[in-house]
Amino acid sequence: MQTILNVNDLSVNFDTSQGLIKAVDNISFSIKKGECLGIAGESGSGKTQTFFSITGILSDNGSATGIADFNNVDLLKLTEKELSEIRGKKIGFIFQDPMTSLTPHMNIGNQLIEVSMIHKKNTKKDALKKAKEVLDIVKLPRIENLLKKYPHELSGGMRQRVMIGISLMCDPLFIVADEPTTALDVTTQKEILKIFNDLKKYKDITIALISHDIGVISEVSDTILIMNEGRIIEKGNCKEVLTSPKHEYTKHLLSCVPEWMK
Amino acid sequence: MIQLIIKRLAIAIPTLIIIIAFVFGLMRVAPGGPFTNERALPPEIEQKINEAYDLDKPLIQQFGIYLSKIAKGDLGPSYKYKDFTVNELILSGFPISLTLGISAIIISLLLGSLLGIIAAIKRNTIFDYAVMGVSLIGICVPSFVLAPILSLFFGLYLGFLPISGWNGGNIYNLILPVVSLSLPQIAIISRMMRSSTIETLNSNFIRTARAKGIPKRRIITKHVIRSSILPIIDYLAPATAGLMTGSIIIEQIFGLPGIGRYFVVGALQRDYTLVSGVMILYASLLMFLILLSDILRAILDPRVKIK
Repeated sequence: MQTILNVNDLSVNFDTSQGLIKAVDNISFSIKKGECLGIAGESGSGKTQTFFSITGILSDNGSATGIADFNNVDLLKLTEKELSEIRGKKIGFIFQDPMTSLTPHMNIGNQLIEVSMIHKKNTKKDALKKAKEVLDIVKLPRIENLLKKYPHELSGGMRQRVMIGISLMCDPLFIVADEPTTALDVTTQKEILKIFNDLKKYKDITIALISHDIGVISEVSDTILIMNEGRIIEKGNCKEVLTSPKHEYTKHLLSCVPEWMK
Repeated sequence: MIQLIIKRLAIAIPTLIIIIAFVFGLMRVAPGGPFTNERALPPEIEQKINEAYDLDKPLIQQFGIYLSKIAKGDLGPSYKYKDFTVNELILSGFPISLTLGISAIIISLLLGSLLGIIAAIKRNTIFDYAVMGVSLIGICVPSFVLAPILSLFFGLYLGFLPISGWNGGNIYNLILPVVSLSLPQIAIISRMMRSSTIETLNSNFIRTARAKGIPKRRIITKHVIRSSILPIIDYLAPATAGLMTGSIIIEQIFGLPGIGRYFVVGALQRDYTLVSGVMILYASLLMFLILLSDILRAILDPRVKIK
């Protein structure tokens, strides 16, 4: 299978008042097309910053070095403008906190159609058609009504579905899901993970699923990266790594899952 | 929306009565009266004057007479500007004060917000430091210091602009008073706008907008401003109050025949009706602006429910 993302020697630094802080330390990995890669590790291990850096949405004081070949283009060499043409179009994002990740003063419809109107130069009519399509994929009910609603009128689970819908507006090749279920209750979590599994199966979308929850990752991912302190500790087939961990840290992470759940 | 307006109007009436009572009481407590002179009047003349203006009656009765007149829209005769009623005085001066005030508030809002947004986007650059530095001076220097400096420089040394007079509302006569009135407000508003824009830029939904690949300019116009302008909308009423008190001094300095001088002169000369007339006008204006800013806020932020 074809490799879609190939990261080599990636380092991310933050310039803070306490000096330069290394968040990601010289890591290399690759993702194949159609694969779901789970990235596990405790908070502060650099898993989120890895993907923020290659897509150019690091905060202002961050900088990245290395190579990140996406579809044969080195993302780290692109200008902000070129990157913004890839984000939302070829790479979709889903963030951790659905309560604050949608613009509060814009209705759901406008937040959705804006993506394809900008990237695909769609007319409003076509964009609305697409918006209804993606909201159907994420299994939201009463779509017509929903398009006119504002984020504060929806529940957390619904907002996260809208977020997934936004990421699907331009049929991306690749989706970065940063702790997509962390802020949700367990039943909603289950439904969201089901959407991810459907996307993998029917849409052939490559997914990077970032989570501290091994249980969430094991449900969707094919391969897994274990990260700690900015380094990759262990990588490989998800099942193999989780059933026979080789590294002490992986064993430690797994020991945090209650015994009866295994 | 209509419900809100009706409710506010209903609250406005008792509020105004309390304000009138307060001004009425304060003015009577102040020593002397409108007809106290250095040279004492013959008692029978003083008696006649007091009778003519109902000043011989008990205070409560005076207050009642005054209120019932106001209810009919009559603010009474001026005690000092003879042959003028308070209505006439306010009608002659208010258009001038209003022109001054509205120009100042529009300029402060537009320029203050614009400078604040640019400073936030270009934060920690020369532009940001320059705007914030100048605005610090703008906050510290009161308008009664700024106004003479401006008229000295632009009016007398350079001779570009007239330094006093209304001149039938000529735009050149307006420039200096409006600038000295609005500069402190521009300074405050630009600082507020800068910090609220920075806060919005750091919020999660702006990260989402960036992740959606939306061009920078559109992020600012569509996603940032409508959130970051909200504190400025809330500041609209206090800003207006600041401009009102500021204009009292500015009108004096630039010799403008607005109502500011009636407020000061009226208070000093114990012109009871004139002071409370101007006070009623200022208070109603302020209440109207608070209502306006509440309506604007509800329009801009869908999370606000009007009740």
